[in-house]
Formats: sequence, C-alpha cells, structure tokens
Amino acid sequence: MTAVQGGTDGATVEKELTAFLAEQTGTEPTADQDLFATGVISSMFALQLVVHLEDEYDIEIVGPELSMDNFRSVRTMSALVLRLQDADTGSRDE
Amino acid sequence: MNVDTAEIDALVGDGPAAWDAAGRIPVELLRRLGKMGVLCAEVPARFGGPGADSLANGELTAHVGALCSSLRSIMTVQGIAAATVRRFGDREQRRRYLGQLTDGGLACVAFSEPGAGSDLSGMATRIRPAADDTGDLLVSGEKMWITGAAYADVLVVFGLHEDAGSAAMVPADAPGVRIEPVQDPLGCRAATHCRVVLDDVRIPATAVLGGGRQPLPLLFTTALSYGRMSVAWGCTGILRACLAAATADARTREQGGAPIAEHQLVARHLAELYTSERIATQVCGHAAEQWDRGAPDAAVAAVLAKQVAATHAARGAATAVQVLASRGFTDGHVVARAYRDAKAMELIEGSTEISQLILARHALDVL
Repeated sequence: MTAVQGGTDGATVEKELTAFLAEQTGTEPTADQDLFATGVISSMFALQLVVHLEDEYDIEIVGPELSMDNFRSVRTMSALVLRLQDADTGSRDE
Repeated sequence: MNVDTAEIDALVGDGPAAWDAAGRIPVELLRRLGKMGVLCAEVPARFGGPGADSLANGELTAHVGALCSSLRSIMTVQGIAAATVRRFGDREQRRRYLGQLTDGGLACVAFSEPGAGSDLSGMATRIRPAADDTGDLLVSGEKMWITGAAYADVLVVFGLHEDAGSAAMVPADAPGVRIEPVQDPLGCRAATHCRVVLDDVRIPATAVLGGGRQPLPLLFTTALSYGRMSVAWGCTGILRACLAAATADARTREQGGAPIAEHQLVARHLAELYTSERIATQVCGHAAEQWDRGAPDAAVAAVLAKQVAATHAARGAATAVQVLASRGFTDGHVVARAYRDAKAMELIEGSTEISQLILARHALDVL
C-alpha cells in the first residue's frame, strides 16, 4: 500500500485507510463509523495508527492536530491527511 | 548527545544509600541534572535539550539506573512529561515547557487513580470549562502513586475532557493542589510516591496541551511507551550494578580456601546474572531501534522490553543478594536496593501480568 504521490485524493486515502484498519484490527469500518466509540482503535493501536499515517503520507501529526475530532472516523482522518499534505504547518518541533 | 556520565557519577557519588534511607534526593541535585539535560535527554537542542535518540537516552538511563533507581525514576517521569509535551503540545507550549524541563524545572505525570490502576479507562479525573467567561478550565480528581510529585514544579495531569482526554500542565503550587507522599514505600524510596488531590484547580486554556480533547488511548500509549522504555533501560542498569557487585564479591571473598567464584553453584549465579544483563540489553536495544526508525510495532517492542528487563532484574537482584549474602544485607547496599527497586519495576508502567496480556493480544492479532 503506497500513497499516490502528488495525486492523493480523499477517496484514495479513505480506501487505503479502510484497508489498513481492516488488516490491522480485523474489522472493516464504514467511512463515518466512530472508531473510538465502537472500540476499533485499542490503546496499543492508537499510536501505531498515528505513526502509520505520518510515515505513509509523509506528514507530521502533532499538537492540536491530534484532536479526537480528526481521528474519529476514516473520513475525518482522510481529511486530516489531505490538509496536512497541502499545508506547510504543524511540522514537529518547530 | 553531549552528556558527561563522569560528571553524573561525581554528582551522585555515594549518595544513593543515604537517599534511600531518608526517602529523599537533594532537590538541588535534581535541578542541576535537569539543567544538564540528563532528566529528559531526548528533548532536541533547539529547546535546550541534548537531543539524544532513543538508544543514546536508553544507555544514559541504564547508567543512572545502575547508580540509583530512585534517581532513574525521576528521569523516567521527567522524560514522560517531555515526550507528552513534544507530541501533544502546540508550538508555544513546546517552546515554553520543554525549555523549563531542560532548565532545572521538575515535572511528574499523574495517571493512576484509586479506581484506575492497570485499567486507565476507569479514570475519574475531569477537566471542564470554568463557569465564567475567562476561558479557564477546572481540574478535579484524585491521583495515586504519582512518582516524583514531592519534587515537581508542574504536574502533567491526565483526565477526561468532554468525550475525549486531555493532558493539563498544572503548577504544583496552584490553589487546590494537595500532594501527600506515601510513607515507607517498598522500593525506589527516594523517588517519592504521592497521593495528589486536585480540588477544582483553575488553569488557563493555554495549559492544556494542544487544546486538549485527544483520543485517550493515544494519550496513554504515547506517555506510557516512553515510560516503559525508560523503566526497561533502568532495569538493565539494575542488572549491570548487580552483576558488577556479584562478580567483585565472588572474585575476592574466600570460603573453604578458594574465592567463592570457584564454587560451581556460585559460578552458575554469575552466569545467570550475566545472561540476564545481556538479554535485557538486547531487548532494550531492539526496542530503541524500533523507536528511532519510527517502526509501527515500537509500542509493542517497548512493552516487551519492559516486561523482559523487569522480570530479569527482579530475578537477577535476588541472585545478587544470594551471592553477596551478609555483605549485601543492609538496606542501603546496592544489591539490597536493587532487590526492592526491581520488584517495583514489575508493578509499574503495566504490571508483568498486564504486559503479558498485551503481548498475548499482539501474538494473537499479528502473528
């Protein structure tokens, strides 16, 4: 699974994320499913997910970007990925 | 990383035995080590820290852990505080708090509660808006077994915040904060273990890291993973100290006309101690490499390192006491401290049993 460089769109990221969650958790969530309320994301997996997003999409997710609202569902995470790829803000330790 | 371990050795000197007996480390020493960057060595240079990677910080932690597990416990909590600020703080918070933590300021982290030990989802501490238009927040709850709270200038308090969690930077002298050290703990006595009561403590919104409301599992795992790495390396240090004490004793003490090391049953103890030290070093080194690479299984590797190093340290310390016998049988002695301190390492940052549950879950899910 590789991010499409330069041409990443919301649908692609959502599809990749859904596949990653299905592979890692054994549950295939819908795009709007609340991943925390439904217990899809466990303690150990939460940090792995952040590291995966940072690595896979060459972004850094720190500070206010780690808000629950950004991680609630596949759709909100995809929006976060696209926004951080576009923006030059939020980079770590600056 | 620019930290001089010889300078640490000189500052620590023969203090640990007396600190253990008194249940206190001189706070000026902690501030001095804090200014040297020793207490949270992974803080990058631009914030005033030594900028160590996970492996270099791990070796530094083992070095201090071999000298004094109480002092190493203070490193652990200061490092957790720094790692939490670095991940969750906004730009201004990172600058402000990481600057303080590398300039003599001391922190502790408040997780555990009377009703939430291993199961942190039982947490009852609440962070909520004040009932006025200041934008301030109120922190209320009771925290238990908070390491280093007796020394701390600031407490990183984890609590529930609306439908998520937050980490709040609460000054230890804020009105409504009460800190009560537990008397006569079994191990890491000079680290202090405290009950912390937070009675509607008012803090500005800027004291909540990243604005707050992060997923609770993410807050816990980020903080605990650093703690597990630090405890694991600390246990490796305990094993190194025990190995050094046991070999020195066995080489020089004679029984039956020969150094006790010549007795095969004693030699086996030394072999087991050496094996434990090597195993702990390898598992910690592997976990540190996973962190430095940003590997997806880094959090699990930290649990494995902590579990392996703590159980080997508890066993190895008992072995060292067995070898030294009467020569290590007083409270301040390095192997006597190791014996009590290593046991505590099997209880904190996820008990041995909780660590095993996590590892079993990992094996079932992934392998």
